[in-house]
Amino acid sequence: MTGTTLHSTGPRAFEAGARNAVADVQLRGALRKATALFGERRREALATVADWDGDRERARAIKDETLRHLDRYLEQFSANAERAGARVHWARDGRDACEIISGIARERQARSVVKSKSMATEEIHLNAALASHGIDVVETDLGEYIIQLAGETPSHIVVPAIHKTASQVSELFAEKLGVARVTDTSALTRIARDTLRAKFAAAHVGVSGVNFGVAETGTILILENEGNARLTTSLPRTHVALMGIEKVIPRFEDLEVFLRLLPRSGTGQRITTYQSLLTGVKRRPDDEGPDELHIVLLDNGRSRLLSHPLTRQSLMCIRCGACLNACPVYQQIGGHAYGSVYPGPIGAVITPQLAGIHQAGHLPYASTLCGACREVCPVKIDIPALLLHLRARSVEAQAPRKGGGVRERLAFRLYALVMSRPSLFRGATNVGRAVQRMAGVRGLVRRPGAIGRLTPLLGAWTAWRDLRPLAPRSFRDQWNARAWKSAERGGEA
Amino acid sequence: MTARTSSAREDILRAVRENLAASSHHERHVQAEARHDGRTLPLASATAQRLEQSRSLVARFSERLEAAGGTCVTVTSRQEAASAIAAILIEAGVRRTAAPDAALVAQLSPASAGIEWSTLDGMSRDQLFHCDAGVTSAQWGIAETGTLVLESAAEKHRLLSLVPPLHVAVLRADRICDSIGDALARLNVGANGSAAVTFITGPSRTSDIELTLTIGVHGPGALHVVLVESTA
Repeated sequence: MTGTTLHSTGPRAFEAGARNAVADVQLRGALRKATALFGERRREALATVADWDGDRERARAIKDETLRHLDRYLEQFSANAERAGARVHWARDGRDACEIISGIARERQARSVVKSKSMATEEIHLNAALASHGIDVVETDLGEYIIQLAGETPSHIVVPAIHKTASQVSELFAEKLGVARVTDTSALTRIARDTLRAKFAAAHVGVSGVNFGVAETGTILILENEGNARLTTSLPRTHVALMGIEKVIPRFEDLEVFLRLLPRSGTGQRITTYQSLLTGVKRRPDDEGPDELHIVLLDNGRSRLLSHPLTRQSLMCIRCGACLNACPVYQQIGGHAYGSVYPGPIGAVITPQLAGIHQAGHLPYASTLCGACREVCPVKIDIPALLLHLRARSVEAQAPRKGGGVRERLAFRLYALVMSRPSLFRGATNVGRAVQRMAGVRGLVRRPGAIGRLTPLLGAWTAWRDLRPLAPRSFRDQWNARAWKSAERGGEA
Repeated sequence: MTARTSSAREDILRAVRENLAASSHHERHVQAEARHDGRTLPLASATAQRLEQSRSLVARFSERLEAAGGTCVTVTSRQEAASAIAAILIEAGVRRTAAPDAALVAQLSPASAGIEWSTLDGMSRDQLFHCDAGVTSAQWGIAETGTLVLESAAEKHRLLSLVPPLHVAVLRADRICDSIGDALARLNVGANGSAAVTFITGPSRTSDIELTLTIGVHGPGALHVVLVESTA
């Protein structure tokens, strides 16, 4: 249905997507507004916490301890969830998970399924899988609903339709729902509420994601602001929750620190409007809520990331989106250009690891390595270190095929040699200056203060970045000349 | 499918164990991560909590609730609670109101208000969708965030606090906890506990269109809390 794939669509598509995004004035305005607003709100919200850094350490320690014994905690979670009446399914990959969920829907002869926002369901292309069985899937988060109607993909993980203006949404609703055009956001929201209420009333199955699964009790926790996740998990007879295996945490009390970190990092709220803590199914037949709860535990490449402490920390991510808002690359190009379900710095880290380095090895290059993502991460994931690790793996993966690896390695050897020997360095910079003067005459210095294009041999370096030209005279030369002069004048201090 | 999924469980657990075993080989070469499990670290914000605690729980709760877009009125008796609720419902122009059970209706519905009260039991989904207001009690409050905590073991709160456009919640002032952690410690989600615990902080909201804050998207557009302080 939509073009989203977990694995990215490739370096060429990324290049094209980035160029389109940079040329899209409206998108850039919306991105600037969103990333600045969320950044500002986040800073304000974390000022209300006495020991923000201590909380981050604590959350990281909890995640690390869980991941280092993930088998044990998964078994404990599964046993306790089933004891409370849930049915737990295990899905090795997206295909397994889609089969399990379609199977549940078909057994219950569900014609329509309501869904609340879930990155994991997008990762496995659940909507397309259900649609192929003739099941109507309705996204109920307002932003997700808008982009589903438009046949588009999310541009931000917290505000999926950030690239759309109110008048575009108005056009869309008029065209798809046959309603009158209104541009007032509350009137548009009202239309979505009324349309979706009917969908909620008709659906037999509700599908949600999971923010945290508590091993000690078998509880799943879902955070939201709109109330659509509550409707999804309360009204239909069957609730299916898709949960990545990394979402488990050991103890009920561990929820506190994550409830302090996640809303503040994501939307800058002290807490989101709703938290649903669901433990199994209703205890008495005449209680409210679904008759059955199915929890689908999804691996889909995650277990591979456990094989090294460096990659393991990728699984600590709580999907807050703070690194997107902080990233200077994301701020310019938005989510679409990445071509992957998970965009931004964390997407550039997760996507190549889950989908394979051959599929998305170019994404780790979509970063300036400035470290802003690591600064804001509520669980202190060292994203720049992971990006470098993945770049290295990407080079290794390409080397045998292209032979480009040999040239690159040679270039960096030479670079290291020059940089570690002062005499070679001076000689090389003198040669560089001479070349630069000639190049300046030939118009290769595109604008003052930056070299836009290098010789064909080193062209790859300047294809994506400007190179600062060498100063006409080096600092060392200037210093020496000055020292010489002052010595001549009689050596005053 | 069952055979395939039961082996999927074994496959996934085996993959987890094998990869973790491979990881322990690298562990020595990597600068050791903090080896505490999170519990040994001091609970954050202890100082701020102590400072905040000097202010009354009720004041903090209502301040945070109002910051989140809810309203709060304090009363000192059942009768006062009933008239406060009636005032809220009349003010909002409510005609049909629903409460979880007969006991709560009997306690809180003032006979003279001219508002049609019913209980959730025996109500069809269609009738529920046409209610103007839902009245529930809340089992706990959280001062730190202005949050209401509703437990399914106590009362059928899930739909009444969500489906009608207005939600009125009655909370005993002595049930307000200091922090989220304190509230979590009081919850029972075990076999004789709650299948659904709901935290509610203010009315339903979204900023999905042009980042404009809009109230009442899928849930209630208004949340009123009636705080009952015991005089005895």
